[in-house]
This record gives sequence, C-alpha cells and structure tokens, in this order.
Amino acid sequence: MSVTLTQEVIDVINSKDTAKVLATIDKDGRVNVAFKGSLHYEDGLLVVNELLETSQTNKNLTYSLWFDKEVAAVFHGPGAAEYQIKGIPRKVLIEGPIYEKAYIAAQERNSDNDLAGVWYIEPTEFRNLTLPVRIAEQKEKYPIIGHLDKDVNPEYYK
Amino acid sequence: MATKIENWREKELSIEEVFDKYKEIPKIVILKTDVHRRGYILSEKAQKLFNEGDYQSQADTIFGKKEGENKIPIGLIFRDGTSLVGGYLTNYGIRDPYVIDEIDGKFYLTDNGKVYEEVDFWREPDFYRKKTSKGTPMGEVVNVRPQRLNVAISRVCHFWDKPGEGCKYCNVGINGIDSVKHGIPDLFDYDEVAEAVAEAVKQKGRFAMIMVTTGSILTGEHIFDDEVDEIIKAFEKLKPIFKTHDLKVQLIASAYDKEQLKRLKEATGIIGYTSDIEVLNKDLFNWICPGKAAHVGYDEWKKRIFDAVEIFGEGNVNSGIVGGVELAQPNGFKTEEEALEKYLAEAEDFAKHGVPIAYIVWGVCGIFHNQVVPSLDYYVALAKGLNEINDKYNLKSYFDDYRRCGNHPNTDIGRIYW
Ligand code: SF4
Repeated sequence: MSVTLTQEVIDVINSKDTAKVLATIDKDGRVNVAFKGSLHYEDGLLVVNELLETSQTNKNLTYSLWFDKEVAAVFHGPGAAEYQIKGIPRKVLIEGPIYEKAYIAAQERNSDNDLAGVWYIEPTEFRNLTLPVRIAEQKEKYPIIGHLDKDVNPEYYK
Repeated sequence: MATKIENWREKELSIEEVFDKYKEIPKIVILKTDVHRRGYILSEKAQKLFNEGDYQSQADTIFGKKEGENKIPIGLIFRDGTSLVGGYLTNYGIRDPYVIDEIDGKFYLTDNGKVYEEVDFWREPDFYRKKTSKGTPMGEVVNVRPQRLNVAISRVCHFWDKPGEGCKYCNVGINGIDSVKHGIPDLFDYDEVAEAVAEAVKQKGRFAMIMVTTGSILTGEHIFDDEVDEIIKAFEKLKPIFKTHDLKVQLIASAYDKEQLKRLKEATGIIGYTSDIEVLNKDLFNWICPGKAAHVGYDEWKKRIFDAVEIFGEGNVNSGIVGGVELAQPNGFKTEEEALEKYLAEAEDFAKHGVPIAYIVWGVCGIFHNQVVPSLDYYVALAKGLNEINDKYNLKSYFDDYRRCGNHPNTDIGRIYW
C-alpha cells in the first residue's frame, strides 16, 4: 500500500518544532508509546534513529519488522496541524556509512548517546488528525453525531 | 569430499513448510539458519558486483589477490541487522546451496529460482588496510564482524598436541599446526594487536565489542594457567586504549577454575565470559571432544562454567554448542527427536545455573568432514527450544546477541524477549 504525502505534511513531519510520538506493540500485543524527536520522512519512508538497544521501542520495531505488524506515529506541528502515519518497519541499519553518520550526529547532541539502529518504516496509512479538519469530516460523514445545543436556532429563543 | 544427500528436498520439510510450522519464529532467522546449513554461492552478476564493492573478503584474497581473481565473501547482513557468519560454500556438496543474485544493483538470496530476501555483505572497516609499525596489514592481526573486533591470542589449540584429542568437528588444530609449520608464531604479537585495536576504535560507531579468543593452552601449574597468563599479557597492551576498567569484551576460552577466573576478571576487566561445552551430552562429549574430556571432563567443564556466574555475574556468562554434531554417526543420536529432547533437557540444567546456551550451525570439517548436518526443522526447533528456556529463566546475554556476535539463531530470536 503506497501512501503519498503532500509537501505541507512532509514539512510538518520534518520540522524540529514538531512533537513526534511513535506507538508500537510487543510480541504479546502490549502497547508502548514514546517521543521520538528523530522521526522524519525521507524518500517515501519514515525514518527513526533509535538510541537504546534495550528500549521497548527497539524490541517492538524488530517484532513488527519480523511479523509485518503496523506501528503508528503522530506528529503535532507548531500550529494546529496533527497527522498520523501507520506503517511497517522494513529495515534497520546497525552498521555502515548511514548508520555511522547518524551515530556521530547522536553523539554530537549528547556525548553519552549511543545508537541502536536507523529504522525505516514503510507508510501504510495517512490520517490528517488536525482538529478543525476532523470536525468538518465528522460533520460531513456522520451528521447525526454531536450535541443538540450546538444546533439550536438562536432566533427561536428571542 | 562431502557426503551428498540424494533428493534431499524430498526427504525433509521445505523452508516454506518450516515457515508454516514455526509461525512464531521470524522468517529471516529461519532463512539465515538454512543458508548457514546449506551454504551459498554467488551468481556471475552478483560476483561482479561484489568484486567492485568495498566489501570485506577472505584475508588471503584481500592481501594477495591477483588481478581478475574473484573476492570471497566472509559474511552477510540481513535487513533486520541479523548477521550470517561465513556461509560461503559451507556444507557445500551435501545439499544445494542458496544462490545470491544481483537484481537492480542489489543482492538477493534465491533458491530454485525463488527470490527470498535482500541481503548485503560485510563492509571493510577503515583500519583494515593500514599497517602496524612492524609493517603487517592490520586486517591480518585483528579481524572483524559488522560491529565486533575479533582478537586472537594463540593460533594453536593444544588439545591437538596428542593425536586424536582434538574436537572432531574442528579444523583449528589442523590450520594452527599448519601455520606454525610455515614459520608463523604460535602466539599473536600483542603490540601489533593493540595497535590495530587502537586504530579500529577510532571509527565512530563501527565497533560495539571486542571478542577475544584463544586456542587452549594446557600448561601451567594448574591446567590453563599459562593460557590465563597469556590473556592477561595481551590485556596489559589493550587496557591503556580504554579509560574504563570494565571492558566491553567477550572472552571465549577454556573452562577455568575459580582462582583463574578471579585473576582474569581482576586483571583484565572483561565483562563477558564464554566457555563452550560444545556438546550437551556427556557420552557424546567424550567421543567428540576427547581432549576436553581427557584433560578436564564433562562434569568439571560444566561446573567451571557454572562457577563463572558467581564471578562474572548472571547475564555475563554463557556457553556455546555446535548444533548438529550430536547427530554425527556412528555414535550420535539416531533421531532428531531424541537429540532435541535430550539437548533441551541438558540446556535447562545450564539455565537453572544461570548459563544460557547459544548454538551455532555446524559446518562440517575436520575429522567430521564426511558427516551430514541435520534438517532445517531440527535447527529451528533447537533455536525455539533454547530461546524458550532462556525466556523461562529470564536469562539475557546481550554480549552474545545479533549485534555483538550474530552467529546464534537462538540469540537472534532472543532480542525481542530480553
Ligand atoms: S577446544 Fe576443541 S573446538 Fe576449540 S579450538 Fe580446540 S579442538 Fe577446536
């Protein structure tokens, strides 16, 4: 399943001012959520640098790569923009030039940092979760949902 | 000459059937295990691409390669970071090997025309072609895996000194004796080793661990005293490279007594210790590893590994086996079912004492060069069983995992359990 993202969305995903969260599941189906500032979009894939070998995220990404399970990332931009991307981890680099470059960058941020791997996630689904967009969508698709007081005619009460 | 199994595909489960049977085991690990079991070769196109790349190849071809000669790969890496150590022509002639082909500029593992997985080869590290102050190429002094440096102390295993005492699946003895005959010294030059290590670790992010190993040295007041002395001598050169006392080092060596273990830990700062029991059955150990049996004995070897947990701590000690030799004939188990049952029971005894077992896929050579390796079904069941035991006893051995070693299907699986 290929997912095409607009430049506007990519800019939010790749902005350093965006809050980025990655949700994964373990082999028993338990959920884990973690902030992942390194999440970004590159050549059609989500990329995340996982610093810790023993982190639950690192184990869960491995599990998802092995068994074709989805993970989900959410991005909350500086404005109201909020996006969710689901995807399946397809590859992790644990050595080689790209890995070493990411390792050096991680160390430059904090000399204590290590790097477990550079993970590549193939997007399977995109959702725009920006609140005004979601409200409009819901109104359109499910006109029966919502509270009555918002629909009253103020003229009636005059 | 290997013993060919005629029509082997009809006699055992195919890899697809094994994928289906073991749905909880990752396909990549099953595939890696099978490639190790059957070996691989390169198609002409893949060989050309490999020759052109900056890949690590067997030392003799790196340094003495003639124009037009093909380079020989020494390891693969999969897209989940799992390594395959060796594998090229391993067990060649018993079954058909996998073929690595080139498709759109990338390498793929194929079998019988079916494409399985994209793979890559190990890259040469920056230090490899540099020379020590004595002029030796550093890649001849210290060799590497994707994230690990391999340091050797002695080229010779002295269990081979007495004819018939070397382990039957091993060719270290034959190679070691051969190189000494050609005037190469028995022991490595620790100054050169330290120079190579110091140069290697300048490459940021390239190495996560040093594995130090040695052929067994039996002499000393107590057996292995001289071996321990040599290791300590080597660490006198290696330790100043690092600022910490405890070192990210796995030592794979003989089974030492408590005094030797304490002396070693104190003097070297080694974190991980492995002593390979090799065969998880006393009678078969006596047959397959006659030197170890005669000089130390199965029960004592085992006890020494258990004692090491007290000194190095749980999670820092393990023991390796050569998976499959238990089915060597005429004395080995007669069925894979029996082998699995007996092996897992014995592995559980190790686990109860805080020692996880890690197995490697047997590549036939040495005295056992005419034997055949078991089915993929067996190897996957063994990996699954060992992983379940380690999980049950909450045993983690990060020092021997997919990144720091890469040669054990069961610790490959362990990475999501720890
Ligand atoms: S102890 Fe056995 S397996 Fe190890 S090097 Fe010596 S002969 Fe080979």
